[in-house]
Amino acid sequence: MRVTAEAKNATRNQILNVAQKQFAQRGFEATTTRDIARAANIGVGTLFNYFPTKESIVDWLVGDACRQAAEAFSAESNNGGQSDAPPSDSATQIARPASLEEDLFSHIAATMRKLKPYRKYLPAALETSLSPLALDQPDGKPSLRATHLETVSRIMSQHGQHEALSAIALQLYWTLYTGVLAFWAKDSSPKQEDTLALLDQSLAMFVGWLSDSNHSKSASTAPKYTSGDER
Amino acid sequence: MPSVAELIAALPEPAEMPEVAREAPMSPLLEAWSQRPVPVGRFRRLRMLGTLQAQIAAAYTFYWLRGWFKGADENKRLLAETNWRTAMRVLDSMSYLRGAVMKVGQTLANFPDVAPREFVETFEQLHFDAPPMHWSLLKEMVFNELADDPENVFASFENRAFAAASLGQVHAARLKSGEQVAVKIQYPGIARTIRQDIRNLMALMLPARLSRDWENAKEQLDDLRIRLERETDYERETAALQKCRALFREDDGIVVPQVFPEFSTGRVLTMERLGGVHLEEFLATNPSQELRNEFAKKILRSWYRMLFAGRVLYVDFHPGNFLFMDDGRLGVIDFGFMLEMDDTLWELMRKVDRPLTTGRRDDRLAAMKEWSWIGDDPADADRLRLSDEYADWSWRARYCGGPFDFGDEADFRRGVDLFTQMVRKRYTRSRPCTPSIARQLFGFRSILYRLKAKIDVAPIAEEEVRAAGWDRSDYAPPR
Repeated sequence: MRVTAEAKNATRNQILNVAQKQFAQRGFEATTTRDIARAANIGVGTLFNYFPTKESIVDWLVGDACRQAAEAFSAESNNGGQSDAPPSDSATQIARPASLEEDLFSHIAATMRKLKPYRKYLPAALETSLSPLALDQPDGKPSLRATHLETVSRIMSQHGQHEALSAIALQLYWTLYTGVLAFWAKDSSPKQEDTLALLDQSLAMFVGWLSDSNHSKSASTAPKYTSGDER
Repeated sequence: MPSVAELIAALPEPAEMPEVAREAPMSPLLEAWSQRPVPVGRFRRLRMLGTLQAQIAAAYTFYWLRGWFKGADENKRLLAETNWRTAMRVLDSMSYLRGAVMKVGQTLANFPDVAPREFVETFEQLHFDAPPMHWSLLKEMVFNELADDPENVFASFENRAFAAASLGQVHAARLKSGEQVAVKIQYPGIARTIRQDIRNLMALMLPARLSRDWENAKEQLDDLRIRLERETDYERETAALQKCRALFREDDGIVVPQVFPEFSTGRVLTMERLGGVHLEEFLATNPSQELRNEFAKKILRSWYRMLFAGRVLYVDFHPGNFLFMDDGRLGVIDFGFMLEMDDTLWELMRKVDRPLTTGRRDDRLAAMKEWSWIGDDPADADRLRLSDEYADWSWRARYCGGPFDFGDEADFRRGVDLFTQMVRKRYTRSRPCTPSIARQLFGFRSILYRLKAKIDVAPIAEEEVRAAGWDRSDYAPPR
């Protein structure tokens, strides 16, 4: 009997919902694919057709959350960025434009809000789909890293940074971003407030470094490097 | 291959400490208690955070390497210098503390035993800006604490802070029910950072632990750490605001803002936004002597009411914490740093009330001996004399019999000099709460000095002290 796309989606969603409950109840490490299959009333073989490992379930959940955040950001950008913009300053009645640091913070914070249900098992995704070594996905879709960095590049461009970020800058940014996510996954501070401070200070350092690098570049006669260049 | 000696010679020297201009005694005190600016310019300080641990590690590595080739005494000197430079770097990185650093500095100023004098003096003059929170960060803080974005929680919310808080910033907003409010938001994670940094400081001062004053110093620093932690607990401040607001009647002309607990948590405090101006702006209007005196009386009454009726000391007598309202009322804000009177301290206050009321020297000496644990040893004679002079300066306004001129510059300087002498001679070893009380007193005197107030303290004191319920029948004037 042919399984319709609708039925496939329903089964996939059922697996995802059940898996989240299992992870919450037992913890990610203790949960097995057999546990998930049993709770979803499907065979292990059926489960494997959708998700070969429990890590791939996390990848899907995280990937979906990141995509939703990126789509929301894209939609806001097309609407003139009104939703996340700071309210007007009543003294001037003019909406104050956000800085690059603020926009990057806003994007990452929005992503983290979507990722919040999966925070405790984020480390699994940090070793796979969020890893610096992650390749494009088997279905040809770009990696989460590529998608996120595309959004970052768009934000940079909106703030006048039209040149492509160097390979070093991209790697530095990704290291900071995934470092913050890794910290957040284990953050036991009340309401994970330490992560907010870390994100704030990390972005301040990155943007400051970028600004300094750009000043040096404009003064320097040395050749410029872009992603893909070999030294 | 270079020898170890050559490698050591090639190592860079630890960075020199920043030079701090020495100023006349008056200006650091007035500057310390001047109105705090809204925080600006944080990238340089934040850049320091990233390298601080590396610097500390390098400093101790250099010390360790140099120590291979030095004698024991030289090792001690090197360790002391390394500790000192490291402590300076830790302090310099505490850019978020601002006002709290001043509080720590005042405590350390009491204990030259445990830190070099130059260190203490430099510490007193350090001023920092707290890291400002941009809109995106602020939004996440509010979302975390109040479960929704500011634009959904409030009818309106200003994106720019209109005032600094000692560990955060304050924004104007309006509730959906119409009230104009001030929303104080704390920088995330600051409480834990304070705790760790002060622990680091105390660890760096451990070499002084054999000093006779170390236990007392440690106790006072511990006391300060606890109080700083309280200042980061806005739920505690909410309770203090509610308690103190209830102490004042409408005819007092003193207003403590209403707090809105449903929009307040441990890190966000929403309270009624009072009108009025701070001290600088008030003085710029060239107010009459009568108006200055009226506000001075209200400031004094607010202190006494909270102390005698509320059994709590309002420590942070900072010009930024008082509002001079157009209708003549005084607004009192920022209840983060309050000293609760436990039974021991309350009993000491009761005993101190006698010399405060009578003005008699023998009453003062008895109180000083008990407060500062001064015995009858002839070696303590100078300490007792100086403590008595300082106490007389502190309390004279109450028993001088008539209006006291708080604007007398020579008299103000005399108090600063007396306190400085006590610090230099290491006479300030006493109760753990003494730094807070000294801070409160100098804060109060500083504000009334700037107001050039001439007021009679005794009648206000006599009215308010009744709330304490003490038996004063054998020394107090008849009603």
